[in-house]
Amino acid sequence: MQEIPLIISYKELLRNLVLRDIKKRYKRSALGFLWVMLDPLLMMLIFYIIFAGIFKRTIDNYTAYVMAGIIMWQLFSQGTKVASTAFIHNRDLINKLYLPKSIFPISNVASSLAHFIFALIPLFIIMIFSGTAISHNIVLLPFIVMLIFLFSIGISLTVSTLTVFFHDVIYIYEVLLMGWMYFSAIFYPVSILPEKLQFLMSLNPVYHYITLFRACLYDNTLPLTEHFVFGAVFALLSFSIGWVIYNKNKEKIIFYL
Amino acid sequence: MISLQGVSVKYRLIKEKKRSFQAHLINYFKGKRIQIQVLWALRDISLNLNKGESLGIIGHNGAGKSTLLKVVSGVIKPAGGIVKVNGKIAPLIELSAGFDPELTGRENIYLNASILGFSRKEIDKKYDSVVEFSELRDFIDTPLKNYSSGMIARLGFSIATEVDPDILIIDEVLAVGDAWFKEKSKERILEFRKKGVTTLFVSHNMEEIKSLCSKVLWLEHGKIKMLGDPESVISEYGKEVIRFSEA
Repeated sequence: MQEIPLIISYKELLRNLVLRDIKKRYKRSALGFLWVMLDPLLMMLIFYIIFAGIFKRTIDNYTAYVMAGIIMWQLFSQGTKVASTAFIHNRDLINKLYLPKSIFPISNVASSLAHFIFALIPLFIIMIFSGTAISHNIVLLPFIVMLIFLFSIGISLTVSTLTVFFHDVIYIYEVLLMGWMYFSAIFYPVSILPEKLQFLMSLNPVYHYITLFRACLYDNTLPLTEHFVFGAVFALLSFSIGWVIYNKNKEKIIFYL
Repeated sequence: MISLQGVSVKYRLIKEKKRSFQAHLINYFKGKRIQIQVLWALRDISLNLNKGESLGIIGHNGAGKSTLLKVVSGVIKPAGGIVKVNGKIAPLIELSAGFDPELTGRENIYLNASILGFSRKEIDKKYDSVVEFSELRDFIDTPLKNYSSGMIARLGFSIATEVDPDILIIDEVLAVGDAWFKEKSKERILEFRKKGVTTLFVSHNMEEIKSLCSKVLWLEHGKIKMLGDPESVISEYGKEVIRFSEA
């Protein structure tokens, strides 16, 4: 726990790392920062072209449904994926001077959060254009984002620490993420799954966050409390496990980088 | 103030470092534990440095010089012994580590200083004098990838020394940069000594050590071979080098 106040004292570094991420990602592209918004839009378009015919009748507001799924998924997946190599990529620094190492995976998730906030813009534009009314639950959005943020940090700390000792984790996690994406009900309704899988779905944390997000945005019919409880439990569990794994190994990391 | 008591650091060298599940699993089922060779990078090092002293560290490659610096800066937690360090540490780290080539000089100053643990306000205050000392004002909004290695070294030195550290750690970085900047850097290090900054200095350049350090530590295979005033340690070290080359 003693590392938490230390991270807070390094908040300027956290800010600079996030800024660097954002600046660097788009510096060389002609459209630059617009890509933050174009990327989920284009992905939504692909899903729409392929799946709208099948699911449009079972899902109201299909565009909003898919778009919400995509950007929530990306908030989780992009941050944790980059974080899986956080210690390896910053080995020069970690080797040379003392800093709270966990700041690197945490900054990756924070960058992803920054991207998410900008990706909300095209989401709201889509919602307005498709005539989807915004729910009064929208006030809960910050809490839900906080939950997935905490959840992602836990996963990031776990994956980045394990990667130092076994590089295979990078590839395993990549494949895992792909399967996870298809299993997160981003572009299909859960009702099409067989019952057994539906039960399994309730153990998928990201599914709860995506559903909560949809409930916040426009869908007042969803059982908010139930998903919220699941989401909160998973977030705390993930964060605790990640924190323990990282703290048990943080002094060893330097010898394996 | 720096105080080390009986500090030992152990590296575990895995023979043929195969860090994969596969290798791990196969070895596990074969009942073969991975062969680990223990290397004591530092052994029973005790040392006291008062405020304002500057210690030169010499020795062959692999003698433990850099490991010692890492212990002082807190990067490595020693396997045994007590480390006490009071004050803000500024390491002059290798150029590639804290800089990002895609960012401009200005952005890199902010990034690098925040790596050293400074807040934005503190950096704002120091910014002008960093640029001043580095003499890179004309290039400050150019990405670092267009800098020469000497220019990058200048920027790095300026940041690490402008931030008013209590302890300065220099690991063979004065080797880069042109002669003029080297002189300027030396002056600054001497100035620091007067101001009471403690300096740790690793170098293979004995002249530099003599002119900058008040005490010299000679490490060999992780142990203290000799610790004393620069003149006598360096002359002993010189004799050893000659003996070594004649043998």
